[in-house]
Amino acid sequence: MANIAAQRIKREFKEVIKSEEVAKCAIKLELLNDSYTELKGEIAGPPDTPYEGGNFVLEIRVPETYPFNPPKVRFITKIWHPNISSVTGAICLDILKDQWAAAMTLRTVLLSLQALLSAAEPDDPQDAVVARQYKENLEMFKLTAKHWTNVYAGGPFVNSDCDDKIKRLIDMGIEEHQARVALSSYNWVLERATEQLFS
Amino acid sequence: MGFELNRFQGEVDEELVCPICSGVLEDPIQAPICEHAFCKSCITEWISRQPTCPVDRQIVTSPQLRQVPRIIRNLLSRLCITCDNAQYGCTRVLKLDALAAHLEECEHNPKRPLPCEQGCGLIIPKDELKDHNCIKELRALIHTQQQKLNEFQQEFTEQRFLLAEQRREMQLLKDFMRAMRISNPSMRAIADAMERDEVLRWSNSLQRARVTRWGGMISTPDEILQRMIKRTLTEMGCPPHILDDLMENCHERRWPPGLCSLETRQNNRRQYENYICKRVPGKQAVLVLSCDNPHMGEDMMVEPGLVMIFAHGIE
Ligand SMILES: [Zn+2]
Ligand SMILES: [Zn+2]
Ligand SMILES: [Zn+2]
Ligand SMILES: [Zn+2]
Repeated sequence: MANIAAQRIKREFKEVIKSEEVAKCAIKLELLNDSYTELKGEIAGPPDTPYEGGNFVLEIRVPETYPFNPPKVRFITKIWHPNISSVTGAICLDILKDQWAAAMTLRTVLLSLQALLSAAEPDDPQDAVVARQYKENLEMFKLTAKHWTNVYAGGPFVNSDCDDKIKRLIDMGIEEHQARVALSSYNWVLERATEQLFS
Repeated sequence: MGFELNRFQGEVDEELVCPICSGVLEDPIQAPICEHAFCKSCITEWISRQPTCPVDRQIVTSPQLRQVPRIIRNLLSRLCITCDNAQYGCTRVLKLDALAAHLEECEHNPKRPLPCEQGCGLIIPKDELKDHNCIKELRALIHTQQQKLNEFQQEFTEQRFLLAEQRREMQLLKDFMRAMRISNPSMRAIADAMERDEVLRWSNSLQRARVTRWGGMISTPDEILQRMIKRTLTEMGCPPHILDDLMENCHERRWPPGLCSLETRQNNRRQYENYICKRVPGKQAVLVLSCDNPHMGEDMMVEPGLVMIFAHGIE
């Protein structure tokens, strides 16, 4: 790995460890190899959002050309958000693309992602289904995002209605995550989800 | 790329750290308006990707980059840094502005080039000296040079072959043109021009001659003398198409009116000095080509030129 990338990541890693966000458990960073190319990030769901109380794990890959090119980041934890793919965890965020600047750090990236959880941009979506629900039925979106946070990110808000409907589909032989995706996509209308799954 | 922070003694001000590489500024340079400072190599690399300040994304192009203020340069030069070769045993701690000079001569530099003192005289990086074997090194050297020599030889042979091929093709072309010129006027013009050029090139390759005694001129050379001169002209590379004409013009019967009899020669002898003559090596003879002598009057010159044979007096 290029010297400059390693030198930067070493310093940034220390910077994050010492930061007050870590002290408040808002963000976390962990090295996965000795060559500073792979890291694991973690951000806490921001308060007063459907993600509150959840812990979201991120995969961070540092390219050879860092910091002249942005790190490659994606969500490992499944999440329901207009700018994050519910399937792959891919993120649509300008600073991870053409708005990247060489002075930005992993800390700025983690904090920006946290900000993205607070303020979605449905007009620049990564997941079209989620974005449509966000715009057409905000309450339904919040409920779904909260449910996903509960199931995948350890959030505290249990929604027994959702759990029941998923149980019904599981009883019909549908795999759990597949059932959740179908119900989430059809505003938790059991009939329409069933129809889609069996068509 | 800047200097690693942990090489410095004591705290380093955040102002002196490059926001791109996070090292201490090396060869610092700053953006014009926001005055953010970077290592020159770091910001150049970034601007080659997009013309913005990496901190605040204001538009910045390479020519707009400025020197940093003297105060920053002074602060930098006063920082104390360990030698690059600290891990190889150098314990020196230097002011940053003295580092480059020290590195030039740091004896702990593992790559410092040293001459071998066991006989081969090759210059070798210090860290390779202990495993160095003169005979092995020299053999390797001979081997690579032999290889190069072989390559050159092969290339030389190829070039020679190519040259022969081209010469042959050229000859074919010339023959072709000669055949064509008879029936085609524009081809004749081209061929004439080519032949003129050839004579000119040949003439330029010859050395000037000086006739010291024009009285030694032989106006009626015998056959043997003529054959000898002709052979020499061929060896000199005389273009074949003028060879015979030139040789014809070595006898007064073919000379121009101003030279053709003893009487006219007497009258015109003052003009001889104006001739531009070329040497015929090893012979008491000179070439007076018409392309070298456009300044001479018509009655003193014939195409394509004259051969003058002397009894003596040629330098
Ligand atoms: Zn730098
Ligand atoms: Zn700036
Ligand atoms: Zn040293
Ligand atoms: Zn030696």
